[in-house]
Amino acid sequence: MKRTLLFSLTALLLSSASAEIRIGVVISATGPAASLGIPEKNTVALLPKKIAGQDITYIILDDASDTTTAVTDTRKLIQDNKVDLILGTTTTPASLAMIDVVAQAKVPMISLAASEGIIAPVDTKKRWVFKTPQTDAIMAAAIVDHMAKNGIKTVGYIGFNDAYGEGWFAELQKNAAAKGIKIVGSERYNRTDTSVTAQALKVAAAKPDAVLIGASGVPGVLPQKALRDRGYAGKIYQTHGVANPDFLRVGGKDVEGAILPAGPILVADQLPDTNPNKKVGLSYVNQYEAIYGKDSVSTFGGHMYDAGLILQKAIPRALKVGKPGTAEFREGLRAAIEGTRNVIGAHGIFNLSATNHLGLDARSRVMVVVQDGTWKLLK
Amino acid sequence: MDLAQLFDPAIFPVLAADGLTNGAVYALLSLALVLVFAVTRVIFVAQGEFVSFGALTLASLQLGKVPGTLWLVLALLAISAVVEGISQLRQGQGRRAGMVLLSALGISAGLWALLTWLAPLKLALPLQVLLTLLLVVPLGPMTYRLTFMPLREASTLVLLIAAVSLHLILSGLGLAFFGAEGSRTPAFAEGQITLGQVQLSAQSLVTILVSAVLMLALYFFFDRTLAGKALRATAVNRLGARLSGISPVRAGYVSFTLAAAIGALSGLLIGPSTPLSYDSGFLIGLKGFVGAIVGGLVSYPVAALGALLVGLLESFASFSFSAWKEVIVFGLILPVLLWRSLTTRHAEEEE
Amino acid sequence: MKLGSRTWLALAFFAVIALLPFLLPTFYLTLLGNVGIYALVALGLVLLTGVAGSTSFGQAAFMGVGAYTSAVLCLRFGLSPWLTLFAAVVVTGVVALILGAITLRMQGHFLPLATIAWGLSLYYTFGNAPFTGGFTGLTGVPPISLFGMALNTPSRFYWLVWAVLALCAWVTQNLLQSRTGRAMRALRGGVTVAESFGVNTYVLRVQTFLLSAVLAALAGWLYAHGQGFINPTPFGLSQGIEFLFMAVVGGSGSVGGAILGAGLITLLRDQLQNLLPKLLGQSGDFVTPVFGILVILMLQVAREGLWPLLERILPRPSQTLMPGTERLPIHTKPASGEELLRLEGVSKHFGGLKAVNGVSFSLNSGEILGLIGPNGAGKSTLFNVISGVLPPTAGHITLRGQDISRFASRQIARLGMARTFQHVKLFPEMTLLGNAMMGGYTRAHAGVTRSLLHLERSEEAALQHAAAEQLTRVGLGDVFELAGNLPLGQQRILEIARALVADPTLLLLDEPAAGLRLGEKRELAALLRKLQGEGVTILIVEHDMDLVMNVVDRLVVMNYGEKLAEGTPREIQQHPAVREAYLGGAA
Repeated sequence: MKRTLLFSLTALLLSSASAEIRIGVVISATGPAASLGIPEKNTVALLPKKIAGQDITYIILDDASDTTTAVTDTRKLIQDNKVDLILGTTTTPASLAMIDVVAQAKVPMISLAASEGIIAPVDTKKRWVFKTPQTDAIMAAAIVDHMAKNGIKTVGYIGFNDAYGEGWFAELQKNAAAKGIKIVGSERYNRTDTSVTAQALKVAAAKPDAVLIGASGVPGVLPQKALRDRGYAGKIYQTHGVANPDFLRVGGKDVEGAILPAGPILVADQLPDTNPNKKVGLSYVNQYEAIYGKDSVSTFGGHMYDAGLILQKAIPRALKVGKPGTAEFREGLRAAIEGTRNVIGAHGIFNLSATNHLGLDARSRVMVVVQDGTWKLLK
Repeated sequence: MDLAQLFDPAIFPVLAADGLTNGAVYALLSLALVLVFAVTRVIFVAQGEFVSFGALTLASLQLGKVPGTLWLVLALLAISAVVEGISQLRQGQGRRAGMVLLSALGISAGLWALLTWLAPLKLALPLQVLLTLLLVVPLGPMTYRLTFMPLREASTLVLLIAAVSLHLILSGLGLAFFGAEGSRTPAFAEGQITLGQVQLSAQSLVTILVSAVLMLALYFFFDRTLAGKALRATAVNRLGARLSGISPVRAGYVSFTLAAAIGALSGLLIGPSTPLSYDSGFLIGLKGFVGAIVGGLVSYPVAALGALLVGLLESFASFSFSAWKEVIVFGLILPVLLWRSLTTRHAEEEE
Repeated sequence: MKLGSRTWLALAFFAVIALLPFLLPTFYLTLLGNVGIYALVALGLVLLTGVAGSTSFGQAAFMGVGAYTSAVLCLRFGLSPWLTLFAAVVVTGVVALILGAITLRMQGHFLPLATIAWGLSLYYTFGNAPFTGGFTGLTGVPPISLFGMALNTPSRFYWLVWAVLALCAWVTQNLLQSRTGRAMRALRGGVTVAESFGVNTYVLRVQTFLLSAVLAALAGWLYAHGQGFINPTPFGLSQGIEFLFMAVVGGSGSVGGAILGAGLITLLRDQLQNLLPKLLGQSGDFVTPVFGILVILMLQVAREGLWPLLERILPRPSQTLMPGTERLPIHTKPASGEELLRLEGVSKHFGGLKAVNGVSFSLNSGEILGLIGPNGAGKSTLFNVISGVLPPTAGHITLRGQDISRFASRQIARLGMARTFQHVKLFPEMTLLGNAMMGGYTRAHAGVTRSLLHLERSEEAALQHAAAEQLTRVGLGDVFELAGNLPLGQQRILEIARALVADPTLLLLDEPAAGLRLGEKRELAALLRKLQGEGVTILIVEHDMDLVMNVVDRLVVMNYGEKLAEGTPREIQQHPAVREAYLGGAA
C-alpha cells in the first residue's frame, strides 16, 4: 500500500515535470520483416512533432522481427521510458505477443501488422489495441471479388512458409468458399529460397484459372517467374505485401500482369481528384521522397503515417481528460482513438468504434495491375 | 498420389534439373567449406555472406551506384593495416610497419578512386564482374587476418562462435549497405535450352557448367600445383606442414581467399535466376555445409556429391510437401549424417 | 554442515537477486527475468558443451518443445501450468531421447550439424503442425499461479524465474562435483580414459543431453507462461546460436559462466540498443554487427570466456578432504600364484597387416610380467586388445577364467583391470585428487539423480579417501595441485595412482618410462618394486630394457607381431633370437 502510494507520488511528480507526450515505436528494422519495417521507421520522421501545444517525443526500438524482442522492447518503452502509446509492430505474431503487455499496463497500442486477429474480437485486452493497415481479410475479399468477376473457378496458392503466407491462405480459403471458387493447390516456400520451380510445377500441374502468391516484397517475384517459366498462362495475383518499388525493379518483365489489391496510396497520382485519399497520399509520397530520395516510397510507411493522422485528432481530445504521463491520459487517448471519425489517411478513411478497431472500409483498397513496369489502377 | 506424380515423365526431369542446378552451387560452397575447415579448423558459417555480397555488389554496379562493399573493404584494410603495423612495430620492424601503412593507404586510395570513377559508367557486364570480385575477394583474407588468425590455436568451438559472429557482422552490414530487399543480377546467358524432355534455362546450364569447371580447376590446383599441394599438406598435418616450411598462416590466407572467391562466384551464378538479399546467403551456405559434412569435412568429391544430394532432396521435397520441405531435407540428412559418422574414421580424442 | 566460502558467495548472490525487486526499476526486472530464462538454457549448454564437449545449436528447439507442450495442453484442456510442466518435461525428454539416440552416436563435427538439422526441422514443425497456432502463434497462455496468486507481474515472475534458476544452478553444481560429473568432464576429449575406467560414455552422453534438454524445457515453460504468447520465432536457429554465444562468452565450463553469459549478452544487447542510435544516428541498425564485433574481440582476449577471469578474484574452492568414515568396498583378490590372465592364439589384423599374430601366454597373480619388443613389434596393439580397446581378430583372452575377448574396455574395467596410457591422458584442469578419483568410478555407484541432490556425499568422501590414499602411496602429496602443472614424470606416476584407485586385480602399464628423464625412471622403478612388494599384479609393456630387467619376474618378447621368446630376465638376456632382434643380428 505504502509502496503504491509512493509510486503514484513519484509518477505524479514525473508527469507534471514533463510537458511532452512520449510515444514508443517498436518496428522490425532488421530481420526477415525489415523490408516492411524500414519504410515504417523512416516515416516516423514525418509524424507530427507537436500536437495541441505538446511536444511529441518518439522513441524507436527495433525488434529484429522477433517476438521476444518485441515484447521486451514494449516493456522497456512502458516501464522505462514511460510512454503513453505504443506504435507497432510490423509483424502479426509480435503484435499479438505485445497485446498482453499493453493491456496489463493500460497503454494504448496501434499495430502496423496485417492480421485481423490483432484487433478482433475487441475484448478486455484488445480494448487497448488498434491498427491502421487493411486486414488481410479486406484485401483477400478484394482479390476474390476480382476473381469472381473475371470468371475464375479454380485457384492455386503459393505462399511464404511463415505467418504472412499462413494468414493469407486462411483468408483465401474463407473468401473463396463464399464465392464458390475452388482451391486446387496450396504450396509454401521460404523467403530466402533460391528456387520455387518444384512448387510452381505442382500448382501449374493442377491447371488452376489463377494463382495467388502470398508473399511480401522482392521474394514475391520468384513464384511468378517460375510459373511463367513453366508456361503457366493463367492470371497471377499478388498481395499488397509486394507493393514496393523494389518488386518492380527486380521483377522487371517477369511480373508484368500481376494483379494485386493495395491501399490507394500506391497509385495516388492516378486516382480521380474527387478521391479524398489522393491529396493525403500524394502529400505523404512527396514528403517521404523529399527525405529518402525519388522512388523510395512504399505503401507500408503509409500505415505509420495514418497512425500519425489519427493521433493528430485523438491527442487534443485526450488532453482534456488528463495530463500526459497519467493513467487518465492513456485511457482518454484510448477512448479518443476509438472515437476516431472520418480521418482521411493515405490508405483510406478511418471510422473506428468500440467494436471495430481498424475502421477502414472497402474504400481502403484498389485493384492494381503491373503494366509496363509500373503500378496501374484497375478501374 | 503425390509420390507417383513425382515420377511423371513431365515432372521428374524438371525437378532433377532444378535440384542439380541448386546442388551445383551448394557443391561449390561445400568445397570452399571443406577447404577452410581442413586448413584452419574454422567451420565457416559466414561463407554464405560472400554469396550475398557477390550478387548484391554486382547489382549495385548495375544501378551505377558505388557498392557499400567498398566502405567495408576500406574499413577492413585500415584496421588490418593498423593491426599488422602494430605487430611489426612490436617486432622492432619500424620500417616495415611504415611500409604496411603506406601501401594500405595507397591501395585504399586507388580502390576508392577506381570505384567512384567506374561505378557510374555502368560498364559492360564482364568488367563489372571483375570489379565485383576485386571488392569481395579481399574480404576473405582480411576477415581471416582480423578474426581467425589471432584465434588460430583456439578450440573449434571458439572458432565456430567467431565464425557465427562474423556472419552476424556481415549480414548486419549487408542490410545497411544494400537494403532489406533483394536484387537480381543480369544473366550470363539468356533463353531456354531443350534437352530431350527437359527445358532448362540457359543460365542453369551455365551454373552447372561453371561449377563443374571450377571444381575441376580446384582439383587441378590441389593435385598439380605446389601451392595446392602445400594446402593439402597443411590440412593433413598442421605440425608436419610447418616443419617442412609451409606456413599455416599463409595457408589460412590462401584458403580464405579461395573461399571468398568461390562464394562471390556462386552469388553471381545464382543471382540471375533468383533475387538474393542480404540474408539469403546464410541458408545457402548452410546447405553447402550439410554437403560438406556428408563429406566428413575432408573429402572433396564426397562433399560435392553430398551437396548435390541436398539439392535434389530439396527439389523433390518442395514438390511433394512444400510446407514440410525443411523438415524433410534436414530430417533425412540425419540418417545420412549418422551413417557417415559411423563410417568415417575420426582422429581419436579430437575435440 | 560447514559451508565453503564459495557457497557463501553464491548464497549472498542469490540473496541480492531476491532483494532486487525492491531496488531496481521495473524494466530491469523484466530484463533480468529474461536473463534467468536464458541462463537456464545456458546451464544446459554448460553441461552438454562446456563439460561434455558436445556442441548443440538445438537448445532453442527443446525450449520450444517444452513451451508448446505446456501451452497447448493448457489452452486445449484447461490444465494447470503445474501439471503441464510435468508434461513439458516428459515430452521434451522423449524427443531428446530419440534425437539424442541418433545424434549422439555421431562424433566430431557431425554432431553440431545434426543439431542444426533437427533444430530447423523442429522450427518448421512448430509452424506447420496442428494445434500449434501455426507461424502466427498462440495467444492467451495462462500465467503460472502459486497459492492462488498469479505470477504475472514483472517482480513476481522475476522471483519465480530466479527461484527455478537457483534450484537448477544448485543441482547442476552438485552434479559437476560428483562421480558422474567427473565422468562427464571426461567425455570431452577423454573418452578412452572414461571407458577404460568403466564409464559407459554413450549412455552418459545421452543422460547429459537429456538433462540439458530438460533445463531447456523448463526455460520454455517459464517463457510460454511468462509471455502469455508463443510462436515459432523464439525457438529458431538464431536463438539456438544466441544460447551458445551466452555459454561461450560466459565460460562454458562452469555454472557461474552460464549466468554471467546470459546476463552479459542480454544486457549488452539492451545497452547497445540505447547507445548506438545516439552514436551512429537513427538511420541504420548496427546493434547486431557491433555485437558480433564485441564477441570476436572478447574471444580474442579471453578464449575460455569471462568466468575464468572472474574466478581468479574469487576465493579458491575448499582444499580439505571431506570427513567420512565409510570406505569403498575392496575386490576379492585371487590367491598369489593363481592364473589371472591367459592369452590363447590372440591375433589382430588390420586388413593385410598382421599386427599381432597368434600370441599366447599367461600371467599369474602377484607376478610382474614384462611385454617387450622392438618398435613396431605389436606390443601396443596387443595391449589394446587385452584392455578391450580393440577387439581381437582371432584367439581368446580370459581373465580369472572368464572369456573377455569380446568385452568392451569398460566391461573389462569392471572385472578389475586398470591401465595407464602410453601418451599421458590426464585432465590437466582437474586436481590430482579429481584425476585419481576417476580411477574409482566402478567402485562407487551413485547415479545422476543422487548426484544432482548430493545424496551420495558419504560415498564421495570414501572415494576421496581412497584417491588420497593411493596418491600418498605413490608419493604425490599435494592432492589439490592441478594435474596440468606436473612434470611428465609425475604425470605418469599420477596415472598409476589413478589406476590403483580402481583397486585392480591386474594393473596394465603402457610404456610408463617413455619420455622420462633418468632420475624420473629411477623413481618409477622404485615405485614398481614397492608395488610388487605389496602384491600388485602388473603387466608392463616397455621397450626400455634397463627398467624392465630390474623389476619384472618374467618377460614375453614380441617381434613382427609374434611371440619370440618367454622367460625370466636372465633367460631372455641369453636368448639368441632376442639378441638378434634387438641388436639387428650384429651379435
